[in-house]
Amino acid sequence: MPESKESLRAPRRLIGPLWVGGLLVLLAFLVLYPLSMLVFGALSDSNPVVDGFAKFSPSLDHFVEVLVNENVHLAFFNALVACGGGTAFAVFIGLFFSWIVVRTDTPFRGFIAGASMIPLFVPPLVAGVAWGILGSPKTGLLNIALKWLDIDFRFNFYSMPGLIVVFGIYYAPYVYMFTASALRNMDPSLEEASEVSGASAFATLFTVTFPLIAPAILAGTLLSFVVMLGIYGVPAALGAPANINVLTTYIFKLTAWSPPLYNTAAAVAILLMIVTAILVWAQQKVLSGKSFATVAGKAFRPRQLSLGPWRWFTFGLALIYLFIVVILPTLALVIAAFRRFLFFKDFDAVFDAKAYGLWHFNAVFDNPLTMLSIWNTLKVGVITAVLGGILAFAIGYTVNRTTLKGRRWIDLLATIPVAIPGLVIGVAYLWAWIGLPGGLYGTIWILALAFVARFMPDTVKALSTSFMQIHKELEEAAWISGRGVLSTIFTIVLPLARPGVIASMTLLFVLAVRELGSSLFLYTSDTTVMAVLLLDYYEGGNTGKTAAFSLVQTLILGTLLCITTLLSRGAAQGAARTG
Amino acid sequence: MKRRTLMTGIAGAAAGWTLPALAQANEFGSKELIDAAEKEGSLTYYTANFAEVEQEVIKAFNKRFPKIKVAMVRAPGGQLITRIKTEAAAGKLAADVVDHSDRGLMLELQDLFQDYTPPNAADYRPDALVSPKFWPGVTLGWCIAYNTQLVKNPPKTWMDLTKAEYKGGKQIGQVVGPSGGTTWTRIMFERQVLGDDYWKKQAATEPVLYPSGAPTSDSLVRGEISIAPLLYNIIYTKIVEGAPAETVFAPEGVPIIPYADGIPKTAKSPNAAKLFMNWRLSKEGQTFAIKSLGNITSLKEPPAFPKGWDPKVIKAWVPKFAEFEKLRGPWVEEWNKTYGYRQ
Repeated sequence: MPESKESLRAPRRLIGPLWVGGLLVLLAFLVLYPLSMLVFGALSDSNPVVDGFAKFSPSLDHFVEVLVNENVHLAFFNALVACGGGTAFAVFIGLFFSWIVVRTDTPFRGFIAGASMIPLFVPPLVAGVAWGILGSPKTGLLNIALKWLDIDFRFNFYSMPGLIVVFGIYYAPYVYMFTASALRNMDPSLEEASEVSGASAFATLFTVTFPLIAPAILAGTLLSFVVMLGIYGVPAALGAPANINVLTTYIFKLTAWSPPLYNTAAAVAILLMIVTAILVWAQQKVLSGKSFATVAGKAFRPRQLSLGPWRWFTFGLALIYLFIVVILPTLALVIAAFRRFLFFKDFDAVFDAKAYGLWHFNAVFDNPLTMLSIWNTLKVGVITAVLGGILAFAIGYTVNRTTLKGRRWIDLLATIPVAIPGLVIGVAYLWAWIGLPGGLYGTIWILALAFVARFMPDTVKALSTSFMQIHKELEEAAWISGRGVLSTIFTIVLPLARPGVIASMTLLFVLAVRELGSSLFLYTSDTTVMAVLLLDYYEGGNTGKTAAFSLVQTLILGTLLCITTLLSRGAAQGAARTG
Repeated sequence: MKRRTLMTGIAGAAAGWTLPALAQANEFGSKELIDAAEKEGSLTYYTANFAEVEQEVIKAFNKRFPKIKVAMVRAPGGQLITRIKTEAAAGKLAADVVDHSDRGLMLELQDLFQDYTPPNAADYRPDALVSPKFWPGVTLGWCIAYNTQLVKNPPKTWMDLTKAEYKGGKQIGQVVGPSGGTTWTRIMFERQVLGDDYWKKQAATEPVLYPSGAPTSDSLVRGEISIAPLLYNIIYTKIVEGAPAETVFAPEGVPIIPYADGIPKTAKSPNAAKLFMNWRLSKEGQTFAIKSLGNITSLKEPPAFPKGWDPKVIKAWVPKFAEFEKLRGPWVEEWNKTYGYRQ
């Protein structure tokens, strides 16, 4: 049916606002609505579902209570020191390894890349437990070994430096994911220009390479800091024995109180959000007005720096790092999983073969909930990764690649959940979504929905760095050639951003598998997930079963890592060709 | 489960099964109840206890009543209460049976629960009951545990935990007073029974403080600490598996924690729920819990005793419920000060 050009343009003009409006409505449902429940909770003493909004009499009592509490001040200070130190360490490690893997000819780079991601798959609680087994001042395996070697030095991971090191190790992959993908997508001609102008490789690294991937470094730094602020497992396992409290352990105490003080916990959570908001604002202030486009419409091949004999030095450093970060804690977990009890009279007792067996694995798989939880977790993980990936792509594209009105609001809404600790947001989701019609409550889908909402900032930020690097001229070229917006996205943007998309979906899957806080409130007997069962083993004081079950979890995630590494390697090559 | 056997009236070996089954049926409820429960075929069980432990309870129940499938939802105490409240308000409470350690919190929710009385109601200690709607399906008790590889002269009484020989060197571990109702019961016992200055004397041994029982028992087995007051069920299963640990029930008394278990008014399988409660509260259910899980019991005449519990010497101590509620806040605060614990 023939239509005039005018009548076609009118609906087209509406597409932009409709698209933004749709995203805003979706984000309001996923973020604002649960958040309003949290604010309601923090400003009152009531449960919005039980008491309804009629009894709402707002007061700032919970905020005042929290702000004047000396123990909160101390917990806040401890959190800043532990997370600040941990972030600095994570950035150092993450940046170093992304450079080694992407930009040098260090041998076995693929292996190093895969292995250095392993810490990301270990639930924080398990990481804390593993490092407690290794570095407890009295019975830690490292200290038993030192004693056997007649060396006087003793490690003490039940301390602030211990917390910083473990945080640094486990959140370095965040920085790595951001910076490696940025380095992979960077046009090396800029570095070549620097070197042609007489700069040394070292000077080029610090004056050209790192400044160019500054958005990725900053995003990784910020995200790892904020995520650390919200972690409970590591400070619970390593800080508690030394009486070092951080904000999350304080919040946990509030929720474990009898009766649980969710309203006060909500107030602490909102204060945490304010801190995060300031950090995000600072990040945007630093980055505003600068162009970081390094993927332009010119063909390039990822450049590799030839290190000569030094490549064996970097390889050696990588091996030492992997030994400390992957082998040692895994060994501790393997020992805990296969050993009946973790009591070591002396170092020789570690090698007593009779003490090892499959008891814990048998017990874990004897539990009918185990297989159910694995199956449910995989389902929730896949649904979350796919739905969250699509949503994050839509948000990331709208925010970074369009000039549509309202995109800043989308960015803001998508960033908010990063700052809310899982234990608190879990109850907000329950309050918000339990009344939804259609029987969503009690299904796998409500868990997936919570995970998509909770980890949206992580996914969107991981993707945004990829978008920021793709030069606008590539899309413009497509438009000039007559392609529409959707066609341009599918033929130009998506293939170029594929490593980032795969990385963020992998990240989402991993985070969904590990997530406990929101699962605890939304799972039912049929939808129990691995994180819930893992907490049960831990809370029961079953280190052996906790270790055995977390090894199973790590194995599942490790298999996924291998698949996605292969996919993203293919994607990187594909992107290089396409560019 | 033996209904078909009964109905068909098969003689011989089957008849040998039938009679005790009938007797047991009366112990757990009427034939009508069992029939109705089996017709419902399933129930949903909310518990604040460890899922692994409750799986064993379900297995044992299913040995007796294999036709009733029990689905479980487990969450830590505070979270479970919040969830029950919210689900109930939204009209979506899925629980047929709720099992919770905090009698005070459950009492606040008693309007959500239906009247229920087990067949052996008269056998239960009145001081373990806070409402006719709630019954102690689980009862836990405190013991003194020690690592047998590290302690040559183990403590035998609560007062021994104040001795100078156990001072320093991270020997004794303690679960912090504000960790929950179970620990509050113990520290209330310490102050009321062992003396106003007991905390001060005990704190002088410089114990290591833990947020809950699980890491404490784990540390004891690993040798991080050598001695700790622990809930008997937490360490019992480890000892059975061969952990280098042993326990003592102190002659001054054993603080016990009767749970508050009930059936919500909205239960979709009320008969299965009643049968499950009846079985858990029965002599058979309580004996199973004592022998296999390391529980204590609130039955006036315990059907079994844990190892080392001489009924002539050891007496269970139950807090007076009114004091349990009233003294909690100020006393826990004092405990924190005495032990230098930052809340």
